[in-house]
Amino acid sequence: MRLHAKTSSQFHAVAFFILTQKMNFLLEGFLKAFHLLISGNDETYSAIWATLSCSSFSIVCSLTIGIPVGFCLGYYNFTWKKTLRTITDTLMALPTVFIGLIVYAFLTHRGPMGNFGLLFTLQGIAIGQTILALPIVISLSAAAVECADRKLRIMIMSVGGNRRQLFLTTLWEVRHALMAGAMAAYGRVMTEVGVSMMVGGNIKWHTRTITTAIALETNKGQFGMGVALGLVLLFIAFCVNISVSFLRRRN
Amino acid sequence: MNPPIYEIKGIKHNYDSKTVLEINYLSIQKSSIIGLVGPNGSGKSTFLRLLGLIEKPTEGEIYFDGYPVAPFSDSARFLVSLLPQEPFLMKRNVYKNISYGLKLRGNVNDIQSRVEESLLTVGLTYKEYAQREWYALSGGERQRVALASRLALKPRVLLLDEPTASVDSLSEQLIKDASLRARKQSGTTIIIASHDRQWLYETCDEILHFFQGKILETGQENFIFGPWEKLESGKWGKILSDGQKFYVTEPPNKNSIAVIKAFTFGHEHIPASAIEIDLKGVISRLSLEKKTGQIFATFLVGNLPLTLKLKPHQNIEKTWFPGNKRNIRYRLDQLKWI
Amino acid sequence: MKRFFLAAACFVLFVCIFPAVGISQKQQLMMATTTSTDNTGLLDYLIPKFKAKTGIELKWTATGTGKALKMGENCDVDILMVHAPASEKKFVNNGFGTDRREIMYNDFVIIGPDQDSAGIKGKSIEAALQIIKAKKAVFVSRGDNSGTNKKEISLWKISNIPVPEKEGWYVQTGQGMLATINVATERNGYTMSDRGTYIKYEANLKGNPPLKILVEGDAILLNQYSVIAVNKKHCSNAKYDLARTFIEWITGAEAQKLINDFKLLGKQLFTPNAK
Repeated sequence: MRLHAKTSSQFHAVAFFILTQKMNFLLEGFLKAFHLLISGNDETYSAIWATLSCSSFSIVCSLTIGIPVGFCLGYYNFTWKKTLRTITDTLMALPTVFIGLIVYAFLTHRGPMGNFGLLFTLQGIAIGQTILALPIVISLSAAAVECADRKLRIMIMSVGGNRRQLFLTTLWEVRHALMAGAMAAYGRVMTEVGVSMMVGGNIKWHTRTITTAIALETNKGQFGMGVALGLVLLFIAFCVNISVSFLRRRN
Repeated sequence: MNPPIYEIKGIKHNYDSKTVLEINYLSIQKSSIIGLVGPNGSGKSTFLRLLGLIEKPTEGEIYFDGYPVAPFSDSARFLVSLLPQEPFLMKRNVYKNISYGLKLRGNVNDIQSRVEESLLTVGLTYKEYAQREWYALSGGERQRVALASRLALKPRVLLLDEPTASVDSLSEQLIKDASLRARKQSGTTIIIASHDRQWLYETCDEILHFFQGKILETGQENFIFGPWEKLESGKWGKILSDGQKFYVTEPPNKNSIAVIKAFTFGHEHIPASAIEIDLKGVISRLSLEKKTGQIFATFLVGNLPLTLKLKPHQNIEKTWFPGNKRNIRYRLDQLKWI
Repeated sequence: MKRFFLAAACFVLFVCIFPAVGISQKQQLMMATTTSTDNTGLLDYLIPKFKAKTGIELKWTATGTGKALKMGENCDVDILMVHAPASEKKFVNNGFGTDRREIMYNDFVIIGPDQDSAGIKGKSIEAALQIIKAKKAVFVSRGDNSGTNKKEISLWKISNIPVPEKEGWYVQTGQGMLATINVATERNGYTMSDRGTYIKYEANLKGNPPLKILVEGDAILLNQYSVIAVNKKHCSNAKYDLARTFIEWITGAEAQKLINDFKLLGKQLFTPNAK
């Protein structure tokens, strides 16, 4: 009996040792993440700010444009409805680098929109991210609206609603599905690298987001730092989702 | 002479190139109660949806209070309300469901009192029901709340599509009472589609009979369905379940439907050319038509129900009650085909 | 409930618009440079001093040399700092750039595992590459058209060896220098790096890296860095004046001394050589 206990604790010690050696930079990253956030590291907070402002702006834009378009796509019946839905569903899977490349081609000084000076700016990234998020918002809004009961339309019209009220009330009735779509889009936008890198240029203090910083650090071989930044991003996403679910509970 | 509240001109409505409703002309007077009867699929629901401005007719015009109207017309959308057959509420509590329509109109002042009042009309207490969520109601309660949300708006026209079809008997009674009270108190025009013919005949000013998308002449019609065959005497007809033969004129095709208006029983001038056919039947029902004070008697001949009109103040013998056998007679020349 | 949403939306919008307010064009200079330069940390060290001296804010993006030159041609940047002399001269000849000035140099080295199974330590560059090819030893290349990559390709050519594009032992990462060194470490192979990045790599591993310098010193291994201003005639929006100010400063005595003093682990990464 005693022999058994001894070997099992030895086994645990050896296992732990191997684990820490192999997972060195993971543990290192975990501790570093705390340190970065608590010590108020300037570079990290600049990246956090860049990430938050870009993704928030692009989400607001894509929701404002995407939800009405998705509504029309889901609500009305017309000849190309199925084709359009297939197109937006496919666009959801566009690689981010590809979108980054297209947006770069437009924003470069030799390109059609070069005069606006949007290349290497957060605004430029936000435009690219809006394009990234739009198919998701449109497709998922259309799906949400299609789930709405047909009887809702009759109810709203029978108590005197006009088209605007029909639109707003229908959206409110499917708000949970819409929220899920918005969260999916937000996740995609916050974690993408392709657009931020190509359009933003990963310029320190200006267009370096958390994701491009991770790319840079891993490219430099600084895996621990990469993991740390990744955990920071996770933490932010967690905070956002908590506040959204808090709102959801209030309903 | 009051202008009618509704005037319908040249309406034709299609679903997927199939005509489901066709009405040449119809007018409905203010504050009247109109009943709609007819088999399922005869166009009653479509009719109500068109009058309720939910859909625009494929052809034709609807005039409300003299003005042409369509879905979302500002001149009419606050004055007309439709209660569909299936009880449906939005995903919110009872109070919010009822106040939704009121808020649309900008009536922010006395919402609570109006909600309370309309709940009472359908037999629900404010205290117990106002905060209940949409999923915590039975089918009957849901329909009553749906009706309450329409009544709270005090519409000029209330359209009810089989309001008591899928509810319990208590809800059914309350819904009927609430609808009639609206008419009494506010002069609301009420148009109801229902399978409860008896109740309709007792309460309505006028009944519209729907059949295959058309409105037939008002008044009780007897429909006799085929298939028709040539019987041994060379005449057309069909054999009823008790063996009696129901003779008809030559049908346009084997499955045409024969129509005879509820024929008057008793002393009536019969032209010499009329062919009269006798049948034996059992009285199954006696009912009263409110508008005219007429009494209708429904006979079962075999399994075929035939309805006759009794003349008002007719001397009704003691044997005129359900279950009794009597002879009835119909005229072949009054038979029409559709 | 609705008011809360409205307030949140306003806050979010304000937060997003705010940066736009900050970015006015004033004194900003946009530079394209290479990942090797950026990864050493030289620019993080030098540029704040430039800003203190001149008030000009220099923003830089680090990519491969090929892309940096393309950006200059596309007028997306105002100034370049690269290390591919042949391509640079072509760039200037095509009229895309002007005022090319050499600023500093270091050298390229071949690094490899300590045990050096191929046995190339101390050999000349041509001999070493011959041995690697003969023994099919794992050689990791950047394969990304960068300055370093172009240099490496030229070395194969000089040694009279066709570029081993399709060989199994020749690994092309398509990534930056440090990433490529990491791949070499994992595969226990050889690679060519600039000394500056190698010292940075050494410093990252606290002075005890798995890969050591095995071949160095050939004249052909010189790595020359230069700055080029984007030609205003080709790009009307190029901030030529600010670019000139930078070129003057970096070739001036103060900056040249700063470059000389930039050390990691006590070792100097770049040797200033502006004329």
